[in-house]
Amino acid sequence: MYKGNIEVRKRITFLFFIIFVIFILFGVRLVWLQLVQGTWYQQQAIQNRISEITVDPKRGDIFDRNGNVLATSISADAVYAIPAEVKRSNQAPQIAHSLAAILGLPESDILKSITQEQRSVWLKLKLDPNQAQALRQSRLPGIGIISKPQRYYPKKNLAAHVLGIAGDYNQGLEGIETAYDKELSGISGRLLVENDAAGREIPESSRQFIEPEQGLSVVLTIDQNIQYFAERELDKVVQERHPKSATMIIMDPNTGEILAMANRPDFDPNEYKKYPQSARRNAAISNSYEPGSTFKIVTLGAALEENLVSKNDRFYCPGFIIVADRKIHCWLDGGHGSESLEEVVQNSCNPGFITIGLREGLQTFYKYLDAFGFGSQLGIDLPGEAEGIIVNQKEATQVDLATMSIGQANSVTPLQLVTAMSAVANGGKLMRPHLVKELRNSQGEVVKRFEPQVIRQVLSADTAREEGALLQRVVDYGTGSNARIAGYTVAGKTGTGQKPSPGGGYSDTDHVLSFLGFAPVEQPRLVALVVIDTPQGYPQFGGVIAAPVFQAAVSDSLRYLRVPVRYLPSGITPNDQMTVVPPVINLPLQDAQKALSQAGLTWEISGQGPIVMDQTPVDGVKVTRGSKVLLSLDESGKAPSGDRIVPNLQGKSLRDTAEVLAAMNLQLLPEGGQFPTGRATWQDPPAGTKVSAGAQVKVKFEPPLPLTSGP
Amino acid sequence: MFSRRLKNLDYNFLLVIGLILVMNLLVLSSAAAATHEGALYYVKRQALWIVLGLIAAGFITFSFDYSKLHQWHHAIYGTMVVMLVAVLIPVIGHMAKGAQRSIDFGAFVLQPSELAKIMIIICFASYLSRRQGEVQHLKDLVPCFLYFAVPFGLIFKQPDLGTSLVFIVIFFGMLYLAGARPSLLLKIIGGCLGVIALALALHFSPLHMPLPLKDYQISRLTVFLDPYSDPTRDGYHIIQSLVAIGSGGLWGKGLYRGTQVQLNFLPEPHTDFIFSVIGEELGFLGAGILLILYYNLITRTLSMAFKSRDSFGRLIIGGIICMWLFHILENIGMTVGIMPITGIPLPFMSYGGSFMLTNMIAVGLVLNVYLRHELMLF
Repeated sequence: MYKGNIEVRKRITFLFFIIFVIFILFGVRLVWLQLVQGTWYQQQAIQNRISEITVDPKRGDIFDRNGNVLATSISADAVYAIPAEVKRSNQAPQIAHSLAAILGLPESDILKSITQEQRSVWLKLKLDPNQAQALRQSRLPGIGIISKPQRYYPKKNLAAHVLGIAGDYNQGLEGIETAYDKELSGISGRLLVENDAAGREIPESSRQFIEPEQGLSVVLTIDQNIQYFAERELDKVVQERHPKSATMIIMDPNTGEILAMANRPDFDPNEYKKYPQSARRNAAISNSYEPGSTFKIVTLGAALEENLVSKNDRFYCPGFIIVADRKIHCWLDGGHGSESLEEVVQNSCNPGFITIGLREGLQTFYKYLDAFGFGSQLGIDLPGEAEGIIVNQKEATQVDLATMSIGQANSVTPLQLVTAMSAVANGGKLMRPHLVKELRNSQGEVVKRFEPQVIRQVLSADTAREEGALLQRVVDYGTGSNARIAGYTVAGKTGTGQKPSPGGGYSDTDHVLSFLGFAPVEQPRLVALVVIDTPQGYPQFGGVIAAPVFQAAVSDSLRYLRVPVRYLPSGITPNDQMTVVPPVINLPLQDAQKALSQAGLTWEISGQGPIVMDQTPVDGVKVTRGSKVLLSLDESGKAPSGDRIVPNLQGKSLRDTAEVLAAMNLQLLPEGGQFPTGRATWQDPPAGTKVSAGAQVKVKFEPPLPLTSGP
Repeated sequence: MFSRRLKNLDYNFLLVIGLILVMNLLVLSSAAAATHEGALYYVKRQALWIVLGLIAAGFITFSFDYSKLHQWHHAIYGTMVVMLVAVLIPVIGHMAKGAQRSIDFGAFVLQPSELAKIMIIICFASYLSRRQGEVQHLKDLVPCFLYFAVPFGLIFKQPDLGTSLVFIVIFFGMLYLAGARPSLLLKIIGGCLGVIALALALHFSPLHMPLPLKDYQISRLTVFLDPYSDPTRDGYHIIQSLVAIGSGGLWGKGLYRGTQVQLNFLPEPHTDFIFSVIGEELGFLGAGILLILYYNLITRTLSMAFKSRDSFGRLIIGGIICMWLFHILENIGMTVGIMPITGIPLPFMSYGGSFMLTNMIAVGLVLNVYLRHELMLF
């Protein structure tokens, strides 16, 4: 036993201690990993084996106020290329050639796309079925087809500026699609799949599917029929007068709901890329222009509210007025001479209105400018609303006041004008203009309702009524006579604004013609503004060019809305040509026909049944002899649901067809070009078919064949 | 005589080994479930090796007195060198995963470096005990270095970095137990580390000095410090092991139900990373129990070294302790992210015939020494 043994045994004892410490350290490490950080590592383990596949939600639809689809999402085939695979095939030029032939795109562009350095490239979205079929058969290497939800606007150009557009990835880019993008988009769902380390799916594993939350549908305040009337009339004036642009807004003055908003030029949102940016501009809310005489409603309203003018005031117009050092002309050479207030209004007399404006003074004038909502956004639920440009109050002179009083110097948007007029129409309340009535979920339940919102009371109800009566004279006796609508009272104001010329001052040839009005005056249902920018030809007066557009669209809308006909302005038609519509509701059809014959009227029948359930116009209305009275034989007009029998539309004009179908709550899908003319020659479904309320009826219109040919 | 020896057997020691082996077969049946060959293949083979190992251990325990090994140490050393040279010869050695470590006998594959660990322990113990107390100076240690350098170099050549490291640990551990001055050993170790550090610095400097280690070995050695620096390649093993163990929590996910294991995220679940399987499926409880068992194994063995009758026996047991301790600490340390990845297996747990046999022989040697400790008492 050598002495080293004791030393060695000491060392062994020391080892015991070391080993103990080491094992404790390992134990601590396990505690740290498994107990302290356990939860985090458990998540890591889940992340390891669960892979997520996103499931796109369906984008919500956009409906008009009656539930007609204006925008929806459909699955469309889209073709993509995987450049790496194309490259591997060594046939890029041949592939490009085949694709070009099938897709109708330039071969060089395709070759560029399919050879670029990217993982995958979309070549074309929304293939038509023939293209998809041809591509599937050709089996080109590196080229694939996949079904992709795509936005589809079944009514094409109708209300395009309101709807806006959704892009290739279903993202809102303009209009309602942008304003309500969050609501329409929904929330992506997830499919959780368990994978092993090699990425293979585990066969028996539980797949967990978190359903996507479908996007909400937007129900607009737009009425597709009223929208259609507005667009139809804009198309007409565009065809005749080739203006730079044209805009019409129709609003319900009582609620601020926009019923129609249309612009020309327009575009088809299905193929928006084919149109210039300018065609997609929603001038109704984003254009500021000098409104001219239509703005006088503000001058007049302010003066009436502040009791600065009265019916008995007299004005004198020598054809001009001198303010400070400026001579401002009336539009009528030689002037209107001595005028009452009524005459000033109905003549749209500039010196008269300037006199009124100067009486108000700058402070009062600006107060009403603000109150009516000019110079600021009204807060409509669309992107791109302009504020307009108002002369700075601090720098404003008496000359500015004078020119502002007759609608010059300031720039305003069409939306601001129509909203201001609504305040006059509805008893003085400035309503917030809006485009969306409701949001609905995928089951059709209302999730959110947008109630009318009063921004402020601008005029007292009495003032508003008084101004309405004055403005009615404009239509009945003054510059707005072209806006008269048989059967309804109309108040309004014409506008013939000069356009500022690029070199300063005003252009002599370019005008912005407009008409701003509402009807019926006693109980206003519709306010509408027509703005025609720089039309060609003569004469250039708002009352001549814009008023008829208003007249046609609003008259059709009022009848479509079944606003009771109560009043006929005298002097339009001699009384001997007039007849009174007899009451025929609840009469058997034959008796009704007899009564109408005796009154010198003809009739149009919609629906089927033995008894007349409804008539348009209502009884007591004075109409021209030979006018048609629309007789509804079933409940269609009153009850929005139930079956309908499609009527025979053969030989009817577009307007008659629209009227009959609207009365039956059926949708008209006119065919035969953008401006269908002539008579109905074909319809689908055919007459006598039973369809449900709201169904679409396609009708083809063709010009009548000439009876004789040759010179 | 024999019954007295049986009475001298350390049954606590045997119980610990028995429990570890039971746990081994249980965990292996789960760990190997996701392998290509299936659980049954590995469990059957492992069980066979355990039985063969136990027979070998029994034979070694009882059939001779360990002092006879003094006479055989030349033969043992020679056999060891021959085996290690043989495995490097292309025709004999079996190439797998970029290293030539085994000899394929058809029915089984022998890894000479495993058995070499036992052989060098015996030879070195004999060498040191014959030079009792003469390891105080550096010049005394030079022959020891040379004695060790031959098998070490051959194993390093395979390459088998893990086993090379085991050799180093055994070398210094046995020198320490043989009475070498700790300050001297520390100087040597410090010097070696300094040389390694310098070599690494030169390697990664613009000079690109070549190293005997391959680059993948270096990055595997260092990646444990920050596995997320390369999560898909070098850091992958550690990250998956940490996730497996960490996600096991207190109770574990249950045998056969560890997602990291069964879905193949954890690499080498039946060999190098079997501790991660325990951590994931049996949780902190299972892993903790195994740690306690190993602690018992090491301390029981250490106390047997304490009681052995001579320095030869003590050095044999001491070498075995160094071997086991390093295997356990390095393997578990690697799976819990506090040691570099060297790929050395966990004694009595990792699948592998040569490894199991080696450890069983070690058990036999420990018991052989311990059985005869009383003879020293007067």
